[in-house]
Amino acid sequence: MASSTASCSVIFTTQTPYPLPTQKYMIPSIWKRFHLSQLINKALALTKPIPFDFLVKGELLRTSLGEWCAENGVGEEETLELEYIESVMPPQKMSDIPHEDWVSSVSCQLKSLSHFITASYDGTVRLFDYSQKLVFNTSAHAAPITSLCMIPEPQSTIEIDESSHLIATSSHDLTAQITRISLPSDATSKPQSEPLARLHLHTAPVSSIASNSSGNHLLTSSWDTLIGLWDTTVPTTDEVAELPINERERKKRRKLNGGTGGSVVKRKAPTMVLKSHTARVSRVVFGISDNEDKAYSCGFDSTVRIWDIENGVCTRTITSSEKPFLDIALNSDGHTALAASTDRTVTLYDVREATSSTTSSGSLLHSTTPSFFTGAYDGVVRLWDLRSMKSAITSFKAWSDMKKVLSIDWKRGMVGVGGEGGFEVWKAVEDIRS
Amino acid sequence: MTAPTRSSKKRKQDDEDEALVASNNINIEMQSDEEEGEEIESDDGGVDEFPEIDAGSDEDSEEDWGNGSDEEESDDEEDGANGEGSDDNSQEDLHIFPTAKTIVSDITGQEKRVYPEIEPEYDSDSSTEDTPNRVGDIPMHWYDDLPHVGYDMDGQRVLKPARGDELDRFLNTVEDPTSWTSAFDKKAQADKPLTAEELDIIRRLYANENPDANYDPYEPLTEWFTGKGKEEIMPLTAAPEPKRRWVPSKWEHKKVMKIVRAIRQGRILPNKTKTTSQPQFYAIWNDSSVSHAPPLPAPKPPLPTNSESYNPPEEYLPSEEEKQQWKEMDPEDRERDYLPQKYSALRLVPGYDRFIKDRFNRQLDLYMAPRVQRVKLNIDPNSLIPKLPSPASLKPFPNYKSLRVIHQSMARCVSVSPDGAWVVSGDESGFVGLWEVNVGREVKKWKFNGKIGSIEWCPRTDVTYFVVGTEDMLHFLIPPNLPPSVLQLTQSILAPSTLPPAPEIPSPVKWSTPSSDSWTDETAILTVHLPPSSGLTTQLTWHRRGDYLASVSIGASQGAVWIHQVSRRHSQAPFRKVRGKVQLVLFHPMKPYFFVATQQYVRMYNLSEQKLLKTLQPGIKWISSMDVHPSGDHLIVGGYDRKLCWFDLELSDKPYKVLRYHTRAIRSLHFHPTYPLFASSSDDGVIQIFHARVYNDLMTDPLIVPLKILRGHEITKGLGVLQIKWCNRRPWLISGGADGTVNVWCS
Repeated sequence: MASSTASCSVIFTTQTPYPLPTQKYMIPSIWKRFHLSQLINKALALTKPIPFDFLVKGELLRTSLGEWCAENGVGEEETLELEYIESVMPPQKMSDIPHEDWVSSVSCQLKSLSHFITASYDGTVRLFDYSQKLVFNTSAHAAPITSLCMIPEPQSTIEIDESSHLIATSSHDLTAQITRISLPSDATSKPQSEPLARLHLHTAPVSSIASNSSGNHLLTSSWDTLIGLWDTTVPTTDEVAELPINERERKKRRKLNGGTGGSVVKRKAPTMVLKSHTARVSRVVFGISDNEDKAYSCGFDSTVRIWDIENGVCTRTITSSEKPFLDIALNSDGHTALAASTDRTVTLYDVREATSSTTSSGSLLHSTTPSFFTGAYDGVVRLWDLRSMKSAITSFKAWSDMKKVLSIDWKRGMVGVGGEGGFEVWKAVEDIRS
Repeated sequence: MTAPTRSSKKRKQDDEDEALVASNNINIEMQSDEEEGEEIESDDGGVDEFPEIDAGSDEDSEEDWGNGSDEEESDDEEDGANGEGSDDNSQEDLHIFPTAKTIVSDITGQEKRVYPEIEPEYDSDSSTEDTPNRVGDIPMHWYDDLPHVGYDMDGQRVLKPARGDELDRFLNTVEDPTSWTSAFDKKAQADKPLTAEELDIIRRLYANENPDANYDPYEPLTEWFTGKGKEEIMPLTAAPEPKRRWVPSKWEHKKVMKIVRAIRQGRILPNKTKTTSQPQFYAIWNDSSVSHAPPLPAPKPPLPTNSESYNPPEEYLPSEEEKQQWKEMDPEDRERDYLPQKYSALRLVPGYDRFIKDRFNRQLDLYMAPRVQRVKLNIDPNSLIPKLPSPASLKPFPNYKSLRVIHQSMARCVSVSPDGAWVVSGDESGFVGLWEVNVGREVKKWKFNGKIGSIEWCPRTDVTYFVVGTEDMLHFLIPPNLPPSVLQLTQSILAPSTLPPAPEIPSPVKWSTPSSDSWTDETAILTVHLPPSSGLTTQLTWHRRGDYLASVSIGASQGAVWIHQVSRRHSQAPFRKVRGKVQLVLFHPMKPYFFVATQQYVRMYNLSEQKLLKTLQPGIKWISSMDVHPSGDHLIVGGYDRKLCWFDLELSDKPYKVLRYHTRAIRSLHFHPTYPLFASSSDDGVIQIFHARVYNDLMTDPLIVPLKILRGHEITKGLGVLQIKWCNRRPWLISGGADGTVNVWCS
């Protein structure tokens, strides 16, 4: 048969630690990924076989080489450059934890490996361990919680306590809150939570909260176009005066508080207010590694803004047309940012300073984390590779019947998915960032 | 003088005999004329033609003339016959022929003519002459098959003269130059050369000329009546003008009067209708005629193809399988009605067995061919489509369903907060849900008794509340999680600590606020009680300032419309009497105008001057929805009869455009407050998005471009999408459907 004898000339390249010598190979065009992977394993004489995936011109090879050539109109004479990457196993569901209400935010970043923390629309923060058991829940807000983040505790200030966690939550009730949760190691004593401070700035629901890696600063973004910068020290007195409320309100408040007038959560004021957005700010994050002094925010005014935190000014604005952004995530090198918008796209932006920016493609290919997860309102979580943007590498459906995915956290090979159907943990590839 | 008398006497004597003789003579003479020819003729002719030569017989000739032309011939003969007297001498001088004497025969005693003896002179010898046969005047063809040609005087056969054989004839033609101009004379039984005159006649006949040599075809025209000075000099007739030319004919008059009487009496029907009972047939394929349209071109028979050749190339020949297949097929299904066959020579081709059938089919084709020639308009259908900008260039507009919020029953009404972040939706089971546009999580839920008819968010940005219209009541609700300052202001507006003074005229509408102790998020802070039995509040609409609120109820025939002023806590009915049932009301976004839609008309009132400005006539049987453009110059009206009318308020009372694109009744219309968009929803479960750009320039017509059809609502109980609202500040659309879902459509 003619087709079996047809062959393609191929050069293999890779970023993985398993390089092949640069050489032209004649590969039968009916070969698929499996054959190619076997070839590389044999050529390298690897003791433990490693499955590889192959990228041809920025596209994951899913068919045979000949079919790909026919589809893309590549002649047999041309030499194909195949980049091979270690293939990603499809994620596997580990646990499914149903919630009473929608889960708005999840975090897998706890110091102890075995716990997940979720924030829900009923205003409750819940702590789970691996065995799907509810370890602890506390009602942090009266209104729905929109976002939650862990505050890494500065090593110097507080004694090392594995069982104590500091979390920050933002809510529809216009405030954010810092809460300490202490999980005693012995089973006899109950876990306790203690609200430390309430962050008062915004006049609209707070959409997100983020902490820097050292844990001494917080950023909140809100629907009222403001971004607040806070430090994490617990105030001893109310920094913000309570608004003068009218007679009826005070009466009501007094009635509500009743006898528990003692432990009132202290009201805390922001250290700085970042003001530049013209519409709702949907997410703000701190810079990574050497960009700790920067903040990145995106909003419904179709802009991604980069802030100098120390001076409190917007240093750069990336404007796109009619893309209300919902979320932003930074790449591990901090040079690029992915922004998701309501037009069902995720866009990659180069967020370096305009002066230092070169062509972005070079840095992109050498970046160490070329993959990311997205969750959507159709209930599907997809894993993407930046080098193969045409379709997702793999995807899984968190819940049936179109339940929305509202939050994703990916840490240590675990993907926590929170949303309309509750909370789910999926086992996935290792996050290279950690 | 004596001669005539004598002759007259003789005439009297022998009247009968002479007549006989004369007749005989004539006959004979005629014979002799023919047979003998010229001699006699010339003699006689000389006498006849030239009578004046006879100088001596003047009188005689005069008398002859005087006797008249009738008797001339007989005179001549008598002259000849008589041959006596003084006149004879004179005649003898003239006559060459010997004159006969009439003597009494000795034998018979009868008179007989005796000619004088012929003296044989040189001239008289006729032995050398050919004797003419004297068979007489008989048809010569009688003797064609006989050796003789007749009989002579003695009864002897006159034999045909010997004719030369073919050789002689040939030699004649060679030797005798005149032989080719001679012809065989049957009577003479000899060849006679033709005379020059005869030859000339033959030549003329041969040349198609007039045989008369004297005829001149190019005679000069004698101009009797034409030419200068001759015009009508000579009338055609000299007769005087007859009387009938100028006197009206009495006969005609009578005839006409007869007809007139007949018409008057009704015996004749003038202008009788012409009934052409006979259909006019004509051959349509034939030549054109005047009476009917030019014939259609006959359908052409298909041209023969290569495979129809008697010796087609091999590739046209079917294989055995194909032949078999062809034979098994139904004749109607066959691709062609013959099998290609190959013959090595044309003479081996058998007779064509299908000739009759082919002819029949051809006739059938002609018979069945269309008689009307369809004139095809050569119009490119694409050119008729108006040139519209492509929807991709008019982004953003909603194009996918982003969220779905589910109610227990029909979601009749939705409303979006002025900042575009929150949506309240009400359903028929009395639930009102508050949820954010972007996530769709229901944050708060209220329960009312009865259906929720309408819901509307206050357009003020400094305060935040919304109004829910139910049966006979309006509820003012404050959403939770407000900043304290906004909450305070809202509360102070809706439930001021010092109530405004009550109006002088007590209104049937009661405003009530529960005591401040019992305020909760669950209950309304302010309730307006409409007059009882006013029914479900179907529509609420705010003035742009957020102080006036108009409500429409379905129950009451009169007083269905109320305008509520929140700051004064006062309600008034703007119309004492309304013609028709009010369907919808609207505030003008700029001016103090008020639109009221009844079932068929939209009336526009000036509220400050309290008068009717104009009545718009959409031509819709039952108006279901209406919205005014944010610029205030354009109004769209939708009806249950699927029509959508676009009014340019400055232009006319009639719609600028009537669109009909929904397959079921239009339920809701909404203009986007900032983007140039409007949407319409219908009972067919479909939302249609339009780009509607309105220009400030009065000369430019509004541009309406259909952008997107959003499907996703299910039709339940015959109802589709009940209300749509645009999200403020975003090109997003919120739609509430009868299937209990409220959808958010994102761009």
